[in-house]
Amino acid sequence: MENKSPLSPHIQIYKWHISSLVSISHRITGIINIIGVTFICVLASLLSLGESNYEVTYLFLSSRIGKFLILGLTWSFSFQILSEIRHLIMDLGYGFELKTSKITGLIVICGSIVLTVTFYLIGKNFL
Amino acid sequence: MVQISLPENSKVNKGKYFKDKTGSKNLRKVNVYRWDPSSGENPRVDTYEVDMDNCPSKVLDILNKIKNEIDPTLAYRRSCAHGVCGSCAMNMDGKNGLACTTPHKNIEGDINIYPLPHLKVKKDLIGDLDGLYRQYKSIEPWLKSSSKSEEAEIIQSKEERAKLDGAYECIMCACCSTSCPSYWWNGDKYLGPAVLLQAYRWIIDSRDEERQARLKKVADELKLYRCHTILNCTNACPKGLNPAKAIAEIKKMLATANI
Repeated sequence: MENKSPLSPHIQIYKWHISSLVSISHRITGIINIIGVTFICVLASLLSLGESNYEVTYLFLSSRIGKFLILGLTWSFSFQILSEIRHLIMDLGYGFELKTSKITGLIVICGSIVLTVTFYLIGKNFL
Repeated sequence: MVQISLPENSKVNKGKYFKDKTGSKNLRKVNVYRWDPSSGENPRVDTYEVDMDNCPSKVLDILNKIKNEIDPTLAYRRSCAHGVCGSCAMNMDGKNGLACTTPHKNIEGDINIYPLPHLKVKKDLIGDLDGLYRQYKSIEPWLKSSSKSEEAEIIQSKEERAKLDGAYECIMCACCSTSCPSYWWNGDKYLGPAVLLQAYRWIIDSRDEERQARLKKVADELKLYRCHTILNCTNACPKGLNPAKAIAEIKKMLATANI
C-alpha cells in the first residue's frame, strides 16, 4: 500500500516558551555574529589600506543604517555571550529544572538588553 | 534537512462545524485535527461545540463526549485514563501532554487538539510511533548481566537505587520526543529525549554490566549530540521527568569517562 499519510503539524502549532526562544535566538545570533565579525574585519582592513577609506567608514557608521547595525551587533554579541554562559552551566549539568531554566532564560533576554544599553551609554561617554 | 512548512498532502484545511444540539448555555469550541485514510483528502480541522455543563474535567473527557454524543467517527488512542498507560498523548493548546491528565479549564479560549507533532498520521489523532519503538529497541532496554545473576538476587544499595528515580517512571508516551525540534528534523538518526532517558536509565543501573558498551553506543554526533537544550521535552513530560538533564548527564559521563 502506498504510504500517503500526512505529516502532523509541528512548528506551526507548538507553543513557544522561554527556553525554546533562547535556544533559537542563540542560533540566529550566532549566524549574525559570524557575518558581523566578517563585516568588522572588512572595515578594519579597509582602514589599514589608507586614510581615504577612513571617511567612507566614518560616513557609513554614522548613517542610520550604520548605527542600527552597530547597535544590533552589540545586542547580538551580548545575547550570544550570556546565552553561551547559560549553556556552559548546563553542560556542567545544572539549571535543567523548569523553573531555573526559565529564570536563567529571562536573565539572558533582559541581560542582553541591559548590556546593549550599557555599551551604548559607554560609547556616548555617558558612563 | 530542516523543512519548516508541511508537505503538500499535509496542509490542513478547514473542516466541518458541529453545532450544539443540547441547547446548553455553557459551550466551548473544540477544534480537532481529522484525517481519514480512506478519503484521499488532505487533513482538516473540525470544530465541535461541546456542552461543558455535563463534561468531566479532563481533555480526554471532552474527546469521549464528542465520540459518544456528537461524532462517533473520531479516532484517538486511550486506555487507562489515569496517566499510567501513555496512550492518549497528543498536542493540546500547542503543548504535548496526556489528554487524561490535562484539565481543560487551564486552556484559555478555544481548545485546539492535534496529534503528536511531526509524525506520520494513521488516522485523526493517531500518530505512527513505529520509528520511536525501533529506536527504543536499539538501546536494548533490559538488564545485561552475564556473571552471577543466574544464581542469586543482585543486591543494590539504597543510594544506587535512588539514582533510578526520575528515570524509571517513564511511560514511553512520546510526549517529549515529539515535542523536540531536533527530533522533528533528525528523527531518523537522533534518538530523541524519550529513548535517551531510557538509555541513561540502563547506563546508571548499578546491576548492569554493559555500562561501557552502552555509553559507546550512544556516543554519536547524531544519536546523542543533537540535543541543543531547547527543553521542550522537560516542559512537555506529563510525569514531571527531566529527559534534558538525563541527556546532559550522558554527555558529562562521555566527557569524563575514558572510553
